[in-house]
Amino acid sequence: MSNTGNGLRTRRGKRLAASAAGIAAVALTLAGCGGGDSGMGGSGGDEPAAAEECPCEIRFAWWGSDTRHESTEQIIEAFEAENPDITVVPDFTDWDGYWDKLATSVAAGDTPDVITQEERYISDYSTKNVLADLSQLDIDTSKVDDSVLAGGQIDGAQYGIPTGINAYAFVADPEIFADAGVELPDDTTWTWEDYVTTANAVSKGAGEGVWGTQDYGFNEAGLNVMARQRGETLFTPEGELGVSEQTVADFFQVSLDLMEGGGQPDAARTVEYQAAGPEGSLLGTNQGAMGVWWTNQLGALTDSSGHELELLRLPGETQGERTGMYYKPAMFYSVSADTEYPESSAKFVDFLLNSQEAADIMLTDRGLPANTEVREGILGDLSPTDQKMADFMADIEDEIVDTPPVPPHGSAELADIMERVNTDVLFERITPEEAATQFMEEVTAAIAG
Amino acid sequence: MSVIQELSRSKQSVSPRKKGDGRWALLFLAPWFVGLVLITAGPMGASLYLSFTDYDLLSPPQWVGVENFTRMFADPRFRGSLGVTFMYVFVSVPLQLAAALGLALLLDRGMRGLALYRSVYYLPSLLGGSVAIAILWRQIFGADGLVNQVLAMFGVQGQGWVSHPDYALGTLMALNVWTFGAPMVIFLAGLRQIPQMYYEAASIDGASKFRQFRSVTLPLLTPIIFFNLVLQLIEAFQSFTRAFVVSGGNGGPSDSTLLYTLYLYLKGFGSLDMGYASAMAWFLLLIIGGMTAVNFLASKYWVFYDD
Repeated sequence: MSNTGNGLRTRRGKRLAASAAGIAAVALTLAGCGGGDSGMGGSGGDEPAAAEECPCEIRFAWWGSDTRHESTEQIIEAFEAENPDITVVPDFTDWDGYWDKLATSVAAGDTPDVITQEERYISDYSTKNVLADLSQLDIDTSKVDDSVLAGGQIDGAQYGIPTGINAYAFVADPEIFADAGVELPDDTTWTWEDYVTTANAVSKGAGEGVWGTQDYGFNEAGLNVMARQRGETLFTPEGELGVSEQTVADFFQVSLDLMEGGGQPDAARTVEYQAAGPEGSLLGTNQGAMGVWWTNQLGALTDSSGHELELLRLPGETQGERTGMYYKPAMFYSVSADTEYPESSAKFVDFLLNSQEAADIMLTDRGLPANTEVREGILGDLSPTDQKMADFMADIEDEIVDTPPVPPHGSAELADIMERVNTDVLFERITPEEAATQFMEEVTAAIAG
Repeated sequence: MSVIQELSRSKQSVSPRKKGDGRWALLFLAPWFVGLVLITAGPMGASLYLSFTDYDLLSPPQWVGVENFTRMFADPRFRGSLGVTFMYVFVSVPLQLAAALGLALLLDRGMRGLALYRSVYYLPSLLGGSVAIAILWRQIFGADGLVNQVLAMFGVQGQGWVSHPDYALGTLMALNVWTFGAPMVIFLAGLRQIPQMYYEAASIDGASKFRQFRSVTLPLLTPIIFFNLVLQLIEAFQSFTRAFVVSGGNGGPSDSTLLYTLYLYLKGFGSLDMGYASAMAWFLLLIIGGMTAVNFLASKYWVFYDD
């Protein structure tokens, strides 16, 4: 690439050529070519200086909604008030654009200093040496449960610190249950079979246009819970697929049973509700009695349904070998391996994690705070819905056996694979057994590559 | 580069005054040239190089030779997306051109308020590529959307068109057909070019309206048809926004709307397989180049130039 530039420079039209070459270089960096070299080791980030020279400026990247952007900017102000020599530059976007932008910034050698990460992506970034080992930095993690902290560890290094925790749970609408004349299931004992019969009964009782439940097959979290109940796991700590083909087939069979019994809508509608998010979901539009969601989505669901919704444990928790539910790190705080200012970045992460002031602003927006001390501190300030969520999380704490290991490199494709395989099952283009085979093959290929 | 060589070579042989003009020319060319290097040539060169590498954006590219291309041809989703794209292009482009020509013929009859109609029918072309229209399309063809409400009036139980793998691509094709305004305006201009005397002569010979259309309008319009065909084919092959928005970004349901460029994007930014995505981009260039070449070769046999 640079040959073109040098060749140009020897000719006439010097100024134009020089600027063109310069711009071309920028263009190439933008396009990603060679950006890796300049970005990875070039800035001397490998050996951080003992003492940092501040005033300094660090960049914090996160995704989210407008409310999160506003609260995060307040937190940044609070941090800057405490640390006047550090300026935190906000770098935020919505979820969809976030990963495109982050990957491109890393390629351009312009990695944000503090990065919000998520479990599907953290392996990709840590194995490419983009993220720093946070255990080497000065961040106090003593108030975070070890099992929760383990959610951000890969090969013994702490690449991310959980911001907060969520659980994958059923959300139920008692009003629709009442309309249908069906009793809310006892979530401490219900089985997967009970789930199907309950949903079918609600559909029958509630009449036209209202269904028992929304299909759960698009999210691998449900599969992971079912696998864990059977003593398996979606991914092993070694980063391999740890679920049996039988379990995957059984998982998809539940959806088919529900469609057959009328407990969930037909395939085309299901695909549509799936794409509509919490606001357009069956629960959100008062057209369904149940749905499986992350606990932090309870607020959005409650708001759009206008009903008071309840959280239920997933079925089968007392049916199998062990319980399958778990705390999922909502997201992670990570620090760039390349940052010029590792100490300032660490100080900022420490503030986000441990400061009561930050927690009071953030509340449960990044999950129920992972720091148990600040979690206690915000309980009084929570909305009734968040309070319900916090209570539910506390209720299941003793039943949770462990946190699943970080999904391996390549697992970012899992969501896509789930959605394709599940759609094929729902439209009965493949049987659950064929779906299981296809799922195993595709996931194995994705995490090998 | 050649532009500069050309210009600097020509400088030596011209008069001093002209030389000054050359400088000015360079100055005025600069924005275009900078744009070419910055936005087109640079990234294209980079992607050509990247197509022979394994590049995940996060670590430096590794040279792998033609591996991306061999992987591509062995990838069932790649073949699937090719199938979807060809289906989309070869069904929707002819329909779109037929609609454009049909309306152009209607509008050409010189009715009152022609300018208004022309603008109204051109509107979809302006809007058609936008995210807003794609979202609207999702609504119209949804399970409880407009289409099904109309069907329900006739007692027909419709279904979720965008969310059913058998019909989702059809809604995208319909969207493409609906944006017939741009070729329509070109057809209209083409129709105006046909000398009135041919029609007069034809009607004196007793030719019916249909016969006039077949023997006068159509042959004289073939250069315009050809032009529209080439343009719309190229555009259709590169359709992205519609499929991205209507499918919710993943080409679903069941890959039924996985247009080529959408799969390219998913590979590049979803799977961080930028080498593969670059290889796909270059292969698409070959496909489009090939299609256009075939078009030009075939044009000898059906395009009629009246000169």
